[in-house]
Amino acid sequence: MIADKKASPRIGVYVCWCGTNIQKIVDVEDVAKFASGLPNVVLAKSYKYMCSNPGQEMIIQDIREHKLDRIVVAACSPNMHERTFRNALRSAGLNQYLFEMANIREQCSWVHTDHMEATEKAKALVSAALARVELHEPLENMSVDMCPNSLVIGGGISGMTAALELADSGFIVYLVEKDDHLGGNLARVDLTAPYLYSARDLITEKIIRIKDNRKVIVYLGSKVTELTGFIGNFKATIQSYDNRYNYPGRKVNVKVGNVVVATGYKEFDASRIVHYGYGKLPNVITSFELEKMIRNGSVETRDGRAPKYVAIVHCVGSRSKEFHSYCSRVCCMTALKYASEIKSAHPDCYISDIYVDMHAFGKGHEEFYRKSSEAKTLFLMYEKGDRPVIHKAGPKDDCEMLIEVNEKLSGEHIEIPADLVVLMVGMEAREDSGEIARLVNISQDKDGWFIESHPKLEPVATTTDGIFIAGTCVAPKDIPDSVAQARAAAARILARIAQGKIEVDAVYSEVNEEICSGCRFCNQLCPYSAIEFNEEKKCSHIISALCKSCGVCVAACPSSAIKGRHFTDQQILAQVEGLFTL
Amino acid sequence: MAIRVNPGFINDLNRFGKENIELCYQCGDCSAVCPHSDEFYKFPRKPIRLLQMGLEKKVETTLEPWLCYYCGDCSDLCPRDANPGDTMMILRRYLTSVYDWTGLSRKFYTSHWWEIGAVFVIGILIALLFSAFNPHGIVTTLTPDGGVKINEMFPVETVNIGAHIMLISIASFLIANIIRMWYLTLLKDRSVRIPFTLYFRKLYQLFVHFLTQKQFIKCKDRSYWIFHLLLMSAYVLMFVLIVGNLRWFQTDRIYSWYQPQRLLGYYSTLGLLAGLAFFSWGRIRKIGQKFKFSHLSDWIFIILLFLTTTSGILLHFFRLSGMPVASYYTYIIHMAVLVPMLCVEVPFSKWSHLAYRPFAIYFAEIKKSALPARKKNDA
Repeated sequence: MIADKKASPRIGVYVCWCGTNIQKIVDVEDVAKFASGLPNVVLAKSYKYMCSNPGQEMIIQDIREHKLDRIVVAACSPNMHERTFRNALRSAGLNQYLFEMANIREQCSWVHTDHMEATEKAKALVSAALARVELHEPLENMSVDMCPNSLVIGGGISGMTAALELADSGFIVYLVEKDDHLGGNLARVDLTAPYLYSARDLITEKIIRIKDNRKVIVYLGSKVTELTGFIGNFKATIQSYDNRYNYPGRKVNVKVGNVVVATGYKEFDASRIVHYGYGKLPNVITSFELEKMIRNGSVETRDGRAPKYVAIVHCVGSRSKEFHSYCSRVCCMTALKYASEIKSAHPDCYISDIYVDMHAFGKGHEEFYRKSSEAKTLFLMYEKGDRPVIHKAGPKDDCEMLIEVNEKLSGEHIEIPADLVVLMVGMEAREDSGEIARLVNISQDKDGWFIESHPKLEPVATTTDGIFIAGTCVAPKDIPDSVAQARAAAARILARIAQGKIEVDAVYSEVNEEICSGCRFCNQLCPYSAIEFNEEKKCSHIISALCKSCGVCVAACPSSAIKGRHFTDQQILAQVEGLFTL
Repeated sequence: MAIRVNPGFINDLNRFGKENIELCYQCGDCSAVCPHSDEFYKFPRKPIRLLQMGLEKKVETTLEPWLCYYCGDCSDLCPRDANPGDTMMILRRYLTSVYDWTGLSRKFYTSHWWEIGAVFVIGILIALLFSAFNPHGIVTTLTPDGGVKINEMFPVETVNIGAHIMLISIASFLIANIIRMWYLTLLKDRSVRIPFTLYFRKLYQLFVHFLTQKQFIKCKDRSYWIFHLLLMSAYVLMFVLIVGNLRWFQTDRIYSWYQPQRLLGYYSTLGLLAGLAFFSWGRIRKIGQKFKFSHLSDWIFIILLFLTTTSGILLHFFRLSGMPVASYYTYIIHMAVLVPMLCVEVPFSKWSHLAYRPFAIYFAEIKKSALPARKKNDA
């Protein structure tokens, strides 16, 4: 080890005030003074903002002047500024991994009130960082080739958009669709809210462009059954199982650099809510069944009559404790769209819109809501936990059904006449989403939606490099948002393709092949599927580009054959020891 | 028991005045800004909700529309331009027609032909009546002080009988309507049990609000209160003088100007003219929310009153100047306007609010006071 070779490392310690964030609780001067007294510390300073340009400049100057070869910065969380300081080290010509951060903000000044104790804790954290940094090794980031081909899973509006965006830039895209046609859920819709554009027009344009574009290779009636490799170098197996389009059981292997998952949603099963009588009352239908009626050209009851009263019930399966707590985002506007479509088919029809809250958040939505009010849609509000009850009307009533509601705005217990009831079924994660998550190695939230790597700043990236998510497989969203995400995912991929190569962190685990007994414990444990087994050598191998350095394999290996680079046993033990040397 | 929603009700209501009631999304800004709305009588939001849902039976029991004085703050604030102020006005028209058991009120409010036709038919009948049944025709001789012998042309005793017949019929229609209002708003409402004594204890409210109309003071613009009070007092005074006390008012003798007969008459005339000028100017120029929307009944009210006032002034002038022919015809015209105005407007149309408003406040106070009593009993 380098630390052993050199007689004494030369360490610089910098204690950040973070304005007053750290300084008002921790005596930063005292911490710096304490650090300067520790072995191998050449200098210790405190400064108002270490992350600022003058702060970084100070580190660079000191490295050059005092020939420092290790740096410790006691400041915020490494999540925040580790990259900043590593870059400073690089600018000074020092290997970026010869650096350690002591978190004295989130883990000290922000969570303590006692000045004395907080200062002592800060000292302990600095001492631990010093003990660790002495054992740091210079590491080099890896560079891997980026295959310019991409795989898009799902042929709905999001998948088609992403595929076209990538193919238009001149790269090959494999578009895999499970159904026998492109279009996804949008193909089941007639008009779109709020501008009443025809969904068919939106999709047909995409499908024609895809058919005309030689760079998009479409696999209909097919599934991706296997995905191995890592960013820039994935291998995907596409299997067709629909004999109308491909030979059943035919398998294709393709090499891709990035993957867009755009598998969409499925609608909530309305029969799960017994109050609504879906499946029992013939004229209680779901929104998709109404779409089908509208596309076929006539909105009518089961026995072929024009309805005099139509009721639309919102939040079916959404925003409730028993089913899904989230809002499905598109149903409110779709309901207003139905009101307008039914009204134009049957101008004398009375439409009741039974809702919880009207979510009209998007462009043109509020105006659409207003328009619907102008068209005399009767809006009736119900309490989230107090669902309407639909039952058959009596023989004397002039309607098929009566809907009983505790109307929230008037406080009255009312009944609403209805010949046709439309249930606005919400979106939910597809039943095969778990399978897809495992296939591409991404995570799902409690509702089954795929998790983005940061909900605000990284909405289309995932924790697995090279796997992007777009559209309604991430969360319920409308067409503009889905399209935006698809294009965002394509843009991220194109940026990587443009770079040609991709730099992979040097922090990963590696197997010492001579010690490895080939037990394969680690293969099964790895949460990132980063470990493969070499049948010839009979030992495990870690794909460094996939490894996130979580350390599970290191801990599990019965032969201690795996080493976590930058997280070696010695480094961690030294750090722990450093904590208690005070 | 669930109440059945009637989405077609709005269409019926729109016959009493067209307003975009369905635009309201119940934000409640109107009730928040309204100076008259309180925790017990929440309006305009709540009555509008009942209208939207078409809960007719509930609408019939509301007193809230009468508690509104249409300052228009609600319409100014409404984010959806649903005009809650005008909706309250429409609702008052609707309620007037609900209280009226004859169904005439509904006809007058919902059909221009009925309203204008009724005024014309009654006017022509009265003109014919006065032309046919006068014993002496036009009497050209003058009284010693130079006035027209109006009592010889139209004997006050005879006219007075007619006036009393009219008074009694108008009053009985109006009283019947008020009883119906009481039945619908207080008696039918099973949620409140009203102790009998409360009717006496709150009776003063009826007179206070009738005479002062002090609820107007709560509105920002007080000019409306002043002119409304002026018009109302002048109108009521004139009504009492002419219809109730014709023998004292219609004399051949010309009194000095400072005598009460003439002084009161002048006060009324000036009050009517000032009020009419204010209201007609407001309505023509559509000043503020209050005058933005004018229904036919609003205009008929102004026009008939204006014609009555001007013909009255002319009659007074002709009589004093000793012009028998002009007086004769002006008298007939005056009656041909005055009688239909009173017969149509007072019990069946716009003028009924003169009675409904103070009664509504009186009933509302009773209801409000009765509620804690009910709660106490429940506990």
